[in-house]
Amino acid sequence: MEKIANIPHGWQEGTSKDITFIVTKDCQLACKYCYLVGKNTREKMSFETAKVAIDYILDQEKDPLFNQESVIWEFIGGEPFLEIDLIDKICDYIKLEMYSRNHHWFNSYRLSFSTNGLNYSSEKVQNFIKKNYTHLSIGITIDGTKTKHDLNRIYKTSGQGSYEDVIKSIPLWLQQFPEAGTKVTISSSDIPYIKESVLHLFDLGIHHISINCVFENVWKQNDDVVFEKQLIDLADAIIDKGYYEYTTCSFFNETIGKPLDCVANNENWCGAGKMLAIDANGYFYPCTRFAQYSLRNKKAWILGNVHDGIDRNKLRPFLTLDRCTQSSQECINCEVASGCAWCQGENYDAAKTHTIFERSISICKMHKAQVRANNYYWNKLFHKLETKYSKHEQI
Amino acid sequence: MLQYLVILLDDTSVAYCHTDNPIVEERIMPLSTLRKAIFWGMCENLMIHFVYPNYSLPKEYQDVIDTVDNVKIGKDIEVYNEIPKKINSSSIVLRLSINEFISSIAELEVVLQQAKRINICYTDIEHFDDNRIDDYSKALSSLNNIIIRLYEQNIQPQINILSDRIIHNEKMHNCDAGISNVTVAPNGKFYLCPSFYYDEIMHIDNELNYQNPSFDRSVGSLESGLDMPNRHLLMLNSAPLCRECDAYHCNRCIWLNQKLTLDCNTPGHQQCVLSHIERNASRDLVTKLKSLGYNIDCCIDDLPYLDPFEQFIKF
Repeated sequence: MEKIANIPHGWQEGTSKDITFIVTKDCQLACKYCYLVGKNTREKMSFETAKVAIDYILDQEKDPLFNQESVIWEFIGGEPFLEIDLIDKICDYIKLEMYSRNHHWFNSYRLSFSTNGLNYSSEKVQNFIKKNYTHLSIGITIDGTKTKHDLNRIYKTSGQGSYEDVIKSIPLWLQQFPEAGTKVTISSSDIPYIKESVLHLFDLGIHHISINCVFENVWKQNDDVVFEKQLIDLADAIIDKGYYEYTTCSFFNETIGKPLDCVANNENWCGAGKMLAIDANGYFYPCTRFAQYSLRNKKAWILGNVHDGIDRNKLRPFLTLDRCTQSSQECINCEVASGCAWCQGENYDAAKTHTIFERSISICKMHKAQVRANNYYWNKLFHKLETKYSKHEQI
Repeated sequence: MLQYLVILLDDTSVAYCHTDNPIVEERIMPLSTLRKAIFWGMCENLMIHFVYPNYSLPKEYQDVIDTVDNVKIGKDIEVYNEIPKKINSSSIVLRLSINEFISSIAELEVVLQQAKRINICYTDIEHFDDNRIDDYSKALSSLNNIIIRLYEQNIQPQINILSDRIIHNEKMHNCDAGISNVTVAPNGKFYLCPSFYYDEIMHIDNELNYQNPSFDRSVGSLESGLDMPNRHLLMLNSAPLCRECDAYHCNRCIWLNQKLTLDCNTPGHQQCVLSHIERNASRDLVTKLKSLGYNIDCCIDDLPYLDPFEQFIKF
């Protein structure tokens, strides 16, 4: 029987602490769908701030907030590789401190990056990759075809698309990280290009595509109809051309589109509060989406700072939050609830009051369209495989 | 369901809960606003609680107030900011710091002999430190001994931090601001409770709009009606920590929740610990009274924690 490729699990998924350094709020690009509304060139982390943060975090080894088996030290921006010298210095300090403290994370850590890829091939970044290769996870964001990519991912100075510059780094990246995946974002304007974009990425050699609709309320009338058609066409292409054997696209997942129970399936969607983000000012956040540069309306949700530590009271809402308490009755009763995602930061920013307990439902119709296409995908795929297999048996 | 309406007769109306009233400048509620507030309360079938300032109101105000059944906070229910030697009403509110309470147990016996009910409101819950857990537990234990002595003299006083857990043995009996009650301020606007009005007057940002900061904490007005977005989040069922908890007497103060945890439906560590110390002291009181032959229909389990958050969270 033919195989169906599985969506890869994240490294040490569920057993690792995710610690994010917002090393800069600057980026060469000004992507139209970017939720970072407060990007700027001023707020760059100093090594001293990072050092105090690392000392504080490693000091808490026995604390249940920080005693997970593994750690992912994540570096984001803006564009993190704009600050490669700082990152290199921070990573050296992390490794040295974990080793000299005999910290249990020394044997189980990752350095993780999500980059626009523009500096990937530079000498400094390549030297960093060589130095830390066995502990690295690097994702380059490329949104699909030149048309789709350049629709949103444009330079902040010229307004020109960045596809031609990003694509140059893809072969080297895949040579160094053959199993790497990319993250694709869908907004209203680029729905018509989904199918060709996913196939384009597969053909470039990127076999695992994590793709999602933006959580903000940007969707127009009939977007869901066009979206569903794109996904049906994509399903046909993936199945007819046999991509399913070695590629995955997160739009198609057998677990999506089932009802959920408020007892057995009451987990929060995301890890906000379980993870920790630190910015240039030394403030701690439940995740980067609660830093001020990510928020349109609300004030930043600051948990504490690198000098005074975490105010645990401000973490309590995050660590007690469950799916049903933040959901409307319509969402609780939804027959296709599984796989319907939310972003805690967007929920907070869009809420009518100062709360993380009001779930935004801007993507409702997009999720339902995805579920219909997902059902089509699996029905078609299983029928194809069963037919093929039973013919084979008869012979 | 709304059951009562709190009317602040003046900006300097007495503080009767956790929060001090920081306003020093007198501003009486206009008579026309007072009439509208009473009318609104009557139409909503609410018991009206008037909160008095420390000065005498003009006669015409008293005439309007007495057109409706009411409770007078600061009059019928006296509010003290220190332990009084003598009281004039059977039900009082005693606003103390936790340290003041711990160091004044003996003085409380005199008050307990006079009052049918004492509501103790701590004014510094947010500063309670785990290092004081033993001190607070011992103070409550001493208070239990006083209550037992009074029972033996056939005096059965109610004191919220000990007896309410016993009285409300089946279900939560919290402050319920915004759910069972709402407050009208002298400006004619509704607030979840007086503390939110004080925040507005003191220009504490409501944090809802970063780009255009606003101090507004109102939830509607007498002119436009009540407008409480996300009111369901004030309810017990929307509070994952509290809905599993049996510290039934806990105030579950949403203003303090917002201040400590930034979310109205999540209590801070200090509130949980204090309420559980009181819960455990109530349990001791029940045990002692039962051993003396009193028929008390209340059973409070032993718990291995003081903050349910510790049990709730699986990291």
